[in-house]
Amino acid sequence: MFIGTILYALINSVILILMALGFNLTFGISGVSNFAYGALYVLSAFVTWILLKLAGFPYFMAAAVSILFTALLGGLMYRFVLMRVRGQALSEVISTFGIGLAILELFRYLGFVGFEYSLPVFIDRSFVIAGAQVDAQRLMIVLVSVVLLFALWIFVHYTSMGLAFRGIAQDERTAMTFGIDSDRMAMWSVSIGAGLAAVAATVIMPLGTISVEEGYDVLLNALAVCIIGGLGSSGGVIVAGLVVGFAQRFTDTYIGSNWTMIVSMVAIFIVLVIKPSGFFGKQKELEERI
Amino acid sequence: MKKKIWRYGILLGLVLSLCGPAPFSFGADPIVIGVPTFLSHVDGKESLNTLMLAVDEINAKGGVKVGSEKRLFKVEALDIRDGAPGVPVPEALLGIEKVILEKKPTALLVGPFRSEALMASMDLIAKYKVPMIGSIAMIPASEDKIRQDPAKYKYIFRNCLNAKYLVGNLIGVMAFIHKEFGFNKVLVMHQDVAWARATATGIVKNYFEKSGWTVLAQEAYPTGASDFSSGLMKAQSGGAQVILPIFDMATSAVLVKQWNSMKVPALMAGFISPLAGPSAWKTFDQKIGGAVNVNFELGSAIASKKSQKSLAFEEAFEKKYKRPLDGGHGEAPSYDAVYILKEAIERAGSLNADAIVAALEKTDYAGVMGRTRFDNGHQVIFGMDPKEAAVVAAFQWTDKGGRTVVFPESIAEGKIQLPAGLKSAK
Repeated sequence: MFIGTILYALINSVILILMALGFNLTFGISGVSNFAYGALYVLSAFVTWILLKLAGFPYFMAAAVSILFTALLGGLMYRFVLMRVRGQALSEVISTFGIGLAILELFRYLGFVGFEYSLPVFIDRSFVIAGAQVDAQRLMIVLVSVVLLFALWIFVHYTSMGLAFRGIAQDERTAMTFGIDSDRMAMWSVSIGAGLAAVAATVIMPLGTISVEEGYDVLLNALAVCIIGGLGSSGGVIVAGLVVGFAQRFTDTYIGSNWTMIVSMVAIFIVLVIKPSGFFGKQKELEERI
Repeated sequence: MKKKIWRYGILLGLVLSLCGPAPFSFGADPIVIGVPTFLSHVDGKESLNTLMLAVDEINAKGGVKVGSEKRLFKVEALDIRDGAPGVPVPEALLGIEKVILEKKPTALLVGPFRSEALMASMDLIAKYKVPMIGSIAMIPASEDKIRQDPAKYKYIFRNCLNAKYLVGNLIGVMAFIHKEFGFNKVLVMHQDVAWARATATGIVKNYFEKSGWTVLAQEAYPTGASDFSSGLMKAQSGGAQVILPIFDMATSAVLVKQWNSMKVPALMAGFISPLAGPSAWKTFDQKIGGAVNVNFELGSAIASKKSQKSLAFEEAFEKKYKRPLDGGHGEAPSYDAVYILKEAIERAGSLNADAIVAALEKTDYAGVMGRTRFDNGHQVIFGMDPKEAAVVAAFQWTDKGGRTVVFPESIAEGKIQLPAGLKSAK
């Protein structure tokens, strides 16, 4: 039981890290806190479902189209809305939150409110690890997360766009003097962040069903992990994901499942009181943006 | 010139056709049935479909006899969204009032979806004196209100399962499992909402504690939860023989998928709303085999070979809609309600609300879900034999996607099959 709890806590942490990756990347590069993140997550899952069930696409093609579509939508969202309000923290929050609400409620209005919306698992098997039965989909999430984290590390360290991202993140004004187009990089960061939300939805959603409410839950979880870890910090996301993931899992097992969301909120509260910038965040950024 | 004459002629014809009296009469006005409910939910939507099926059947046979003339039924439905998150009860009430005032219905069928909306609408319905046979909201408090002031609230009836009968039937299934297999170790998993908490606590206090069962835990999950692995691990490590789930949220069937994936050697038997209809097999990746689900009414998503009326209903639905019926609560009672209303109107011989109510109180109707009679709280009486009362139908999903009715014994088509790794304790 204890070993099983540890194992599932680890998996839960990886799920949280995967959920938060896109939100964190966007904030780290552009400074935009994308409150439409949860909506983009749900949108990509619904798009995948529509392509699979109504258009008859093969699974991987449906997933790929959905990820690209969501990334494109993220880019357009920046170009036509966020670019006009970038730098005005309150306007950014209101506009992204508004867009998110509009997306989620549009799906509700269109009648996507039942339980019949679910994505198939990649591999229909389960394995016994340290005495605990774990399904292949959860292991797939771990694998995808590790691959994504590694790919992101390669991207920001060894590609010109990644280096430009880092430049903007470290000192926007100096980066601009070197000819880096801040708005263009910000647009790409929102787009890639949205794409990462779509990747997360594609691998996490087969564990449950797609529902509009999931958008709000994902946003809360992503926000909790990013705030606790320090907005924009990659290492912070990993550490905070582990802390929140383990706390949630142990609460679930030893106190009660209905207390798990409270754990995240209490953790945010404690972090904001003791170290408002989070584990690895920069105090200055947090003050400016939040 | 000829063109002008034609134009003026057509124009004159149009004006006359709009202003003049109708040249033909198509018989008496139809009897309007108002259906204000939550049509975005599968049960609301399917209840309207089964109601339409009954209306079509009755109209095809000439309609309802009111005194000396036959009149057709006409349905006026409105989505009052009372089950949707964030929709306040007053908004649902506005929808009900709109149907009453604008459509002038003789009766309301199906009715509010959420119990809160039903309770709040009782005064409205009493004010306008429109008979209503509700088929979805389950709160027993409405019956108490009717008993306390029958003169005022006599217009409200319910012909679906209520929460008290749900508890009784879940206890019946647990007692049946105990009798069949000798199991007495259970883990209860339920949604963290009022009705599910009350149902779970009611079963624990009124049955498990009194009958010597060991309750390993009573796990509450917030609405929307989709990870049930900690509860399942508790069941496994504690040696639970039965897992009793009580959920109506969309993600709840995922619990059965996870129970299947984790190969927990315990019988999953209880109530999970999304497991009801045949489409659940595909929706949940063909991984729900072995779960026992207490459906609310016989005919709602499941028929029994031992009930010809339920089979005929199932066939008629498939013939009309070219697909199987998918909702597990409200569908059979909504269909029955149209016939119950028809008989009441014919017995009353008029469309007067008080006369219809008096006739409804004397209902004794053999329908899809069994025999319908109302008690003094205007709640349909449930029992174990469809010849005597309305019945629920607990069924088990087979490993090949079929569904076998296993409880009550009067309509059972087969025995409960235990999951791999679990042996009878007898």
